[in-house]
Amino acid sequence: MSDDPDRVWPTGLTIAESEDLHRQLIDGTRVFGAISIVAHILTAAFTPWLG
Amino acid sequence: MPSLRRATIRGIAQLSPRYLPFADVASETLPLKKLLRLSLLQVTVGMALVLLVGTLNRVMIVELSVPATVVGVMLALPVIFAPLRVLIGHASDTYISPLGWRRVPFIWKGTLAQFGGLAIMPFALLVLAGKGESHNAPALLGISASALSFVLVGAGVHMVQTVGLALATDLAPQKDQPKVVGLMFVAMLVGMIISALVFGALLVDFVAGRLIQVIQGAAVVTVVLNLVAIWKMEPRVRGRDREDTNQPSFQRAIAAFMDQPFSRPRLAVIAIGTLGFGMADILLEPYGGQILELTVAETTRLTATFAVGGLLGLALASRLTRHVGEPLWMAALGLVMGVPAFALVAFAATAQSTEMFAAGTLLIGFGAGLFGHGTLSSVIRHARPGEVGLACGAWGAVQSTAAGAALALGSIMRDGVSAMPWGAAFSGAAPYFAVYAVELVLLVVALAVLLPQLVRMARRGADPGRLRHS
Repeated sequence: MSDDPDRVWPTGLTIAESEDLHRQLIDGTRVFGAISIVAHILTAAFTPWLG
Repeated sequence: MPSLRRATIRGIAQLSPRYLPFADVASETLPLKKLLRLSLLQVTVGMALVLLVGTLNRVMIVELSVPATVVGVMLALPVIFAPLRVLIGHASDTYISPLGWRRVPFIWKGTLAQFGGLAIMPFALLVLAGKGESHNAPALLGISASALSFVLVGAGVHMVQTVGLALATDLAPQKDQPKVVGLMFVAMLVGMIISALVFGALLVDFVAGRLIQVIQGAAVVTVVLNLVAIWKMEPRVRGRDREDTNQPSFQRAIAAFMDQPFSRPRLAVIAIGTLGFGMADILLEPYGGQILELTVAETTRLTATFAVGGLLGLALASRLTRHVGEPLWMAALGLVMGVPAFALVAFAATAQSTEMFAAGTLLIGFGAGLFGHGTLSSVIRHARPGEVGLACGAWGAVQSTAAGAALALGSIMRDGVSAMPWGAAFSGAAPYFAVYAVELVLLVVALAVLLPQLVRMARRGADPGRLRHS
């Protein structure tokens, strides 16, 4: 397996595999960001902190 | 002495799995430890269900004084998306990723949705109720945010449960699948029982801050447990992104699934039977309280009785399915149990007998456990390779739509009948009698659909080469 030229060490993932993983990470961060924006708007309505 | 102590400890360590149901499910490919870890997915699903249907239902109406219709609509939102389970299951069957995973990405996305929904839910509910400074905010903000949070949690539950069941089926050798199904149900029941007790204890003294802590705590627990569950769980199949360029489209896949022998009648039985068992779920406690004048503690014990019945049913189904062959016989047995069970519960009012009511409740739980296990095992057993996710999705779509409809129908029917001129007959028990009668009829109808199919199956040996393994 280790003779695959696409494989990158130390993770042993190929470029395509690591890009797939990265895409999941970016998607997750986007969802998380969107949720936290909604949460901030709601908390601002519940206990306003901007005066 | 140290050696004695060591021996005792070792003895206990070896003994404990024996007292777990389904311990012998462990096989070389799926050790029990791994299976228990995977079943954590179902624990978080159970927690989310208790939170939505039980805890928040009461908190919104009693503590937050949200109008009952708004609460009803919010709770119905996740059910509307239940049919999408088929689509999710199919998507996970045909998912192509360079990493060679099919199930994990969906479980992860579902977890994220469940977490996100729970994270914004307490604030959304507080704004919906106009607490704090939020009475100045536009009303639309609270409503839309609450709806968003319920939809997110519901979508997450649908994804995690469907794809989680498919993953469990993938991992287990075929002869162990009935036991895996049993364990998955048990994990959900355990999750529901524990979280109901914990939520109840934590929300005794209700303040807004506590609600935020409890729901967001549930969000964190969901992420942690689900991550533990899927860690190193699904084997990667390298090169899956290159093969299978002619994957079936969703339309073709669902048509092929529905055209299998007994597929349609089986789904019909799942719908009718789930409706039959589910309608009295939320009426059991008010029935005990109003008609049999049980205290709150006694009705809570009743819910525990129901759960114990469910566990017994699941244990029996897991044991027997291997010998019976076709799991639908278990579902039929469950339906048969349900008929005297509902009769007992109804007659308990006339006899004013708590024992009769408890026995009936135990039997309902028992029958529902057998029925749920039998139908899901059957769907999984008859699924062809490559459509396990679709099959789990179809079962889940029909089952959770029917369960949601049953909840709504049960309370609508009770309120409708009590509004009738004769609604107060049988010293106020008439509405409950009406619901129980409808449930009895539904169970009998389900049996009438199921039994001829079972006979035909037995005659045709409809499950070529897959019926008996032992």
